[in-house]
Amino acid sequence: MAAEFKTAQPVEYYKQFLKEEVRPDGRELGEIRSTILNVGSISTAHGSALVKLGNTTVVCGIKGEFASPTVEEPKKGYLVPNVDLPPLCSAQFKPGPPSIQAQVTSQLVADTLLSSNLLNYEDLCIKEGNMVWVLYCDMMCLDYDGNIIDACLIALLAALRNVRLPVVTIDEDTGLAELSSTEDRSLNIVNQFAATTFSVFDDSILLVDPTVEEEDLATGLMTVIVTQDGRLCNIHKPGGTPLSTDQIQDCIGRAQTRAKEICSLIDDTLDSIER
Amino acid sequence: MTSNPENNSSVEIRPIGSLQSCISKPDGSAVFTQGDTSVMAAVYGPGDVKPNKALMDKATVTVTYKPKIGISGVREKALERMIRNTCETVLLTTLFPRSSVDIIVQEIQDAGALLACSINAACLAMINAGIPMKCTVAASCCMMGKDEELIMDPTKEQTKDAECVLTSAIDSSAHSLIASSMQGSCSVEQYHKLMSVCQKACDKVFEFYREAMERTLSKP
Amino acid sequence: MTALSNLEEDFILKAIEESKRLDGRQPYDYRRTKIEFGVERGCCMVHMGDTRILAQVSCEVVEPKENRPNEGQLFVNLELSPMASTTFEAGRLSDYGIELNRLLERTVKDSRAVDVESLCIVAGEKVWKIRLDVHVLNHDGNILDSACIAALAALSHFRRPDVTVIGESVTIHSPQDRDPVPLNVHHIPVCVTFAFYHKGKRLLVDPTEKEEKVMEGTMVVGMNVHRELCTMQVTGSMLILKEQIIRCCQIGVVKVSELTELIKQALEKDKTARAEGKKFGFAESHPKKSITSKVIPEQTLDTSDVEDEVSRIMETAELPEQVSSKLEIKKPGLGQIGDGLTNSWLDDGDADEAEEEENGNSKEEDEMEGAIGSEDEDEEEEEEEEEKKMIVTKPKAKDKRKGKSKAYVSDSEEEETFTLDNADLDVIQGTKSQKLSEELDLTAALKKPSDKTKSRGNTRAKGGKKKWKKEQNIKDRP
Repeated sequence: MAAEFKTAQPVEYYKQFLKEEVRPDGRELGEIRSTILNVGSISTAHGSALVKLGNTTVVCGIKGEFASPTVEEPKKGYLVPNVDLPPLCSAQFKPGPPSIQAQVTSQLVADTLLSSNLLNYEDLCIKEGNMVWVLYCDMMCLDYDGNIIDACLIALLAALRNVRLPVVTIDEDTGLAELSSTEDRSLNIVNQFAATTFSVFDDSILLVDPTVEEEDLATGLMTVIVTQDGRLCNIHKPGGTPLSTDQIQDCIGRAQTRAKEICSLIDDTLDSIER
Repeated sequence: MTSNPENNSSVEIRPIGSLQSCISKPDGSAVFTQGDTSVMAAVYGPGDVKPNKALMDKATVTVTYKPKIGISGVREKALERMIRNTCETVLLTTLFPRSSVDIIVQEIQDAGALLACSINAACLAMINAGIPMKCTVAASCCMMGKDEELIMDPTKEQTKDAECVLTSAIDSSAHSLIASSMQGSCSVEQYHKLMSVCQKACDKVFEFYREAMERTLSKP
Repeated sequence: MTALSNLEEDFILKAIEESKRLDGRQPYDYRRTKIEFGVERGCCMVHMGDTRILAQVSCEVVEPKENRPNEGQLFVNLELSPMASTTFEAGRLSDYGIELNRLLERTVKDSRAVDVESLCIVAGEKVWKIRLDVHVLNHDGNILDSACIAALAALSHFRRPDVTVIGESVTIHSPQDRDPVPLNVHHIPVCVTFAFYHKGKRLLVDPTEKEEKVMEGTMVVGMNVHRELCTMQVTGSMLILKEQIIRCCQIGVVKVSELTELIKQALEKDKTARAEGKKFGFAESHPKKSITSKVIPEQTLDTSDVEDEVSRIMETAELPEQVSSKLEIKKPGLGQIGDGLTNSWLDDGDADEAEEEENGNSKEEDEMEGAIGSEDEDEEEEEEEEEKKMIVTKPKAKDKRKGKSKAYVSDSEEEETFTLDNADLDVIQGTKSQKLSEELDLTAALKKPSDKTKSRGNTRAKGGKKKWKKEQNIKDRP
C-alpha cells in the first residue's frame, strides 16, 4: 500500500513523514547519512579515495602527468577536475556526452578548487617555465542517490591528500625528466573544505543531505562549502525557493559543524594507513 | 565606483539602463546595461513544446546562454542552469501546462557582474513578454577587496584582485535569496555584510524595473 | 515561424508585380541600416530594418598549419541564435545556417579581404588566429547582407595586441603597454542579395522575411567598391536571363558603394568619439527618447546600517551544534562517520569481520605461494602494465623501476583484495538501510557459514580471476 501511495502521490507521502519530523528513510531532518571513506582504493593511481554517503558512491582517482605551464604562470601546475556520471550509476543518465548534471558539477568543483586556495600550485612545479605536474582528478559516480556534490568533494579532498608523486629530477645533459622509484612526496594541502547540501521541500522544510528522491521533489537546493576553519568558500544556490538570511545562517552553522567532522574523518582515515 | 575611503558607509553602483522590445521576433525582449556590461535577453512563450519535453503539470522553461566569443561550453551550461532555475522560481509555470517558455540570453559586452546583469535582463524580458510571474527577481554583484573594502557592481579589472565576489539574486516579495554564487572565500560576518549590501542594490533594481515599466506603458 | 497564408502570399506577389512592397520601399531600396560599435574593439552591431546582427572579433596565438607556416588564420563562425526565430535551434547548424556560413566565409575569407601574412609572428611556430563570431539576433530577412556588413565593420574596428620578437622570445604587449594594432583589411567586400519573383522577371533588393518566404530564388552578388566581384551565387527554382545578371551587378555596384560609405562613416564616427574621450558603446546608443528605454545614472547606496544587520543575524543565529557523530576507523584506510540509520546488527558483526580479515590475509599469503606456477605470466603482464604506465609518464625512467616492479605489484595485489573486502562491507551496509525486515535473516545467513567455507569461496573467486588474467594474456599474445 505504501509503495503505491508513494508512486502516485510522492509529495503527500513525504508530507506525512515530515509532519512527524522524520524522513521516509528513518533520518531526522538535519541528519546526514553515514559517510564511509576509504583511501588508496585504486593502487594504479597516484592518489585515490572512495566515498559512500548512504548509497551514493563516488570514487576519485588522481593521475599526475607532465605538462608545460602557461606563459603567464610559468611556476604553477594545475588540477583538472572532472565529474563523470556514467549510465551505470543511475537510470537517469544516458550513454554519450556528459550530461548537464555532470558538466555543472564539474564546473562547481573546478570553481571551488579555484576559490579555496586548497594548495600552493607552485608546489607542482618541476622546472620553471618548462615542466609542471598536472593532476587529473577524475571523480566517477558508481551509485547515484543524491547529494553528488558533497560526495565528490570529500572524495577529491581525500584523494588529493592521498597523492604520492614520485620525486622528479631533471637530467642536466639530456634535459629529460627522471622519476625516482624510491622517493616520493605528498602534496601540501593548506586549506581543507567540505560541502553540505540542503534541499527545500514544499517551499518550507529544509532537509540536509537529500537522497535522489528528495532532490527530485525539492523546490530548491543549496550547497554551502566551508573551509576547515569556518570560512565560507561558496554558497551555491542555483535558483529555487527563496531563503531568508536567518535560514541561510542556520545552514552555514550546520555546514561548519559538518566540515569539521569531514576534515577529522579524512585526517583520521589517512593517519590509519601508512604507505 | 569604489567606496569612499573616508566615509565607509556608502557604496556606488554603476548606471543602469534598459531598452525593451528591442527586437521584433520574440514575444518579449530587453537589453539590460550596468555600466559597460550589456546583456540582451529574449523570451518566446508560452508556446508550443516538443512532445518529449512536455510536462503534465507546468510549463517547460528552457534557457539558452550565448557567449559572445566561441561556442558555449561547461561554464555556459552552469550559467544556463542558474538562470533557468531562477526564472522558473518566479514564473507561474503551473498556469501553462504542456507548453514551453524559452529564454535566450545573449552576452553583448562583459565588463564585470555578468551573471547579475544576465538575470536582470532575463527578468525584464519576461516582464516585457507579459508572462504571469509570482514576483520579480533582481540580481546584484558585490565584491570584497584585499583590505575588506566593499565594491558594489565591480568591473572586470576590479574583480581581478578580489578576495571574494558574491552574486545574489533576490525576489521582490520576501526579499529572500533565490540564487547565489560566490568566488573566493570570506568569513561568515563578511558574507552577511556582502549579502545585505547586495539586497540594497537589488532594491534599486526593483525600483528601476518599476520606473522602466511605467515609462514603457505611458502615453508617448 | 509558420508559413504564410495563401491570401498573404498572393497579396505580396500582386504588390511586387506592381513594383510595390509591404513596407513602402521601392524594389531596389535597402531598409534603414545602422552600424554601432561596442566599448570593446572588434564588436559591432548592425540593424537592417528589424534584422539584427552582432559580430565580435577575437584573437589568440596558435601554431600555424603545416602547409602554410607563415600565414595567420581567419576563422569565420556564423550562428543562427534561437533568439532570432523559433525555427533556429541552439547548438545545431541547420542547412540554411551552413549555406549562410559558407557564403560569408567565401566573401570575407576567400576574397582575401584580411591580410593573413601579416598575422605571422614566428614562421612555423606562432601566428595569430583571428576568430570572427557573427550572431544573428533577430531574423527579418536578408541575414547575409547584414552579416557581411557586421563582419567587415568588426574586422576593421578590431585591434590586436602588438608583439615584438627579439631572438627567440616573443613578447605580447598589453593594451596599457603599447597601443594595439589594427588588422590589414585590403578591401571591403559587401554582399547584395536579390530575390526573384514571377519566373525571374521581377527582382527585389534586401528582401524581408515575408518576401523571402514567397520568393522563387535568390542571387547573391559579393563585390567591393572597386567593382571586383568576390562571390556570386544563384539558387532557387527559376531560370534567369543573362541580362538580368548584368542588371543585378549594376545595381550591386551602386549598393556596394553606398554600404561601404556607411561602414566608413560609422568607423570614423567611433574613432572621433574615442579620440575626444566621449562616451561610446552600445549603452550610449540606446534611443534615449524612446519610451521603451530607461536609464538611471550612478547611484549611491547607504550602507551605514549594514553592520547592525550583520550583528543581528549573528546574534539571533543558533549556535551550531557540537560535533556529535562518532568517528570510527574500521580498518586502516577505512573510516566512517555517523551511523546514519539504526545500526544494530553491524556492531556485533565487527568481531566476525576482524576474523574474516585475518583469514583473508593468511589465505592470501597461501595463495601467493600456490600461485607461483602462474607467476611468469603474471610478471609479464605486470611488465606490460608497467610499460604502459611509463609511456604515460616518461620513457626515461623505465629501466630503474623495472627491477622493483615485481615487489611493487604484489603489494598492490594485496591491497586490491582489501578493497574488495571493503566494497563488500559497503554493499552490506548499503542494503541495510532499505530492507529492515530482511536484515535479520540476512545476518543469520551471513553468520552461518563457517570461516573455512568462506575462505574457500574467496579463494575460488581469486583463482577465477587469475584464470581470467591468463586468458587475457593469451589473447594479447599473437
